[in-house]
Amino acid sequence: MTALPSPYDDGAAYDLALERFEEDLPFWLEEARQARGPVLEVTCGTGRILLHLLASGIDVDGVDLHPQMLERLEAKAVARGLKPRVSRGDMRDFTTPRRYARVFIPFNGFAHCENTADQLACLQCCHEHLEPGGALVIDMSYPGLDYWLDTREARVLEIETPHPETGDPVRMWDTRRKDRVGQMQHSLIEIEELDGAGQVARLHRFETRQRWVYRFELELLFRAAGFRRWRILGGWDRRPFAKDTDSMISFAWKDG
Amino acid sequence: MSIASPYVDPALYDVIHQKVRDDIPFYVDLARQAEGSVLELGCGTGRVLLPALEAGVAIEGLDLEGAMLDALRSKARARGLTARVYRGDMRDFTMPGRYRLITIPFRAFLHLLSTEEQLQALRCIRDHLEPSGTLAFNVFYPSAEVIKADESVRKLAIDVPHPVTGHRVVVYDMNHYDVPAQAITVEREIVEHDDRGPARATNVGFALRWVYRFELELLLATAGFDDVRIFGGFDRRPLERDTDEMVVLARRT
Repeated sequence: MTALPSPYDDGAAYDLALERFEEDLPFWLEEARQARGPVLEVTCGTGRILLHLLASGIDVDGVDLHPQMLERLEAKAVARGLKPRVSRGDMRDFTTPRRYARVFIPFNGFAHCENTADQLACLQCCHEHLEPGGALVIDMSYPGLDYWLDTREARVLEIETPHPETGDPVRMWDTRRKDRVGQMQHSLIEIEELDGAGQVARLHRFETRQRWVYRFELELLFRAAGFRRWRILGGWDRRPFAKDTDSMISFAWKDG
Repeated sequence: MSIASPYVDPALYDVIHQKVRDDIPFYVDLARQAEGSVLELGCGTGRVLLPALEAGVAIEGLDLEGAMLDALRSKARARGLTARVYRGDMRDFTMPGRYRLITIPFRAFLHLLSTEEQLQALRCIRDHLEPSGTLAFNVFYPSAEVIKADESVRKLAIDVPHPVTGHRVVVYDMNHYDVPAQAITVEREIVEHDDRGPARATNVGFALRWVYRFELELLLATAGFDDVRIFGGFDRRPLERDTDEMVVLARRT
């Protein structure tokens, strides 16, 4: 079987499904405003968050592995009259000329570090790019009981949203295979563009993998990467992390 | 109201755990092959330590509970064995010797209730190992199905005959889980029967903190261990399912 492309090989299809996701934007904007210094977004993709921050006057740079995502980000920026500073880089080993008050890894971007060595390399690289006293902020889903117990192999409708031009439905399906002891999810992502009659007019198929991380595991990773202080919240509304249905919004500070 | 520890009544402890035997060959074989001195942490009443001693292994034991050690010593005497076992806390113990092998059987590692306690214990173990000495222990992998099905349900956990009277001894557990905190609180009722039925009930309680696989690898690396192998059972099969037992071997760096 030939491997399918990654969803990050096609910025346009990615945006059809995910560009209008907005629930996390107020959180990141507030974090960026409180940073009182430059911000770096790692895994900035097509700029869903980064362009929102830039348009709000934040001094933000971006790094992403996938040139197709960055090209799309640049094109969208031009259309909005914005001038982003983004560069291609691997989250495990990137270099930017500046140091930052905050480094953000939003929207499960950290899940693309698929093993402990990659996770550590990424955290160490983020630590290096922080100013003294700066903080790394990571948003990750928590792999709770209900997540693992949902063993449906069937396609799950993740998102249904109107096409930005035609208004016809766009649907994103996820067929998941899970490895509990490996803390991995393998996803077959299918993005369907429907026509006026409800028939699938275009189909985009991708594969991706995500590695989940547990709370104390993440704290040990922070410790091993050189952070000595951290705090974990349970969602974009800043509630405490208390239930396994919460997200993990983690802050790790570099010593001042 | 304070809940009694499960370790204050060693005789009752031995009655309800009489069928736990599948780990003994693993630990006794390791101890034999160590070709040096061995230390068992959480040795309790000697369920694993005494068979190792009988196999001729130079093994010492450590446990937090004096009553358990007293029971171990009297069992050893009854078998003509001399047990060198000491009271101590696995988070902070000092022994004069260094060991080829340190073991923590029967999930005793899960009595360490925070990352700090886990690291304290692992560092203390590391300091008591000879260079390239081995740490061996086992803990359950937290199964999503088990946690979901068990949550705050009183269930029959153990039903065994008393070895002397033959009467039933039945253990009921009610487990409370805090999933993100990886914490279990067990409320345990041990009901001893006589001819007519239930005759005496003992209530005990304890807390456990579970660990995940990669978390465990990070703990071991942070505390100064390498060559970490995590199996899925005492037969050393690969860890594949979340109902597997994690059987861990690690080498002092």
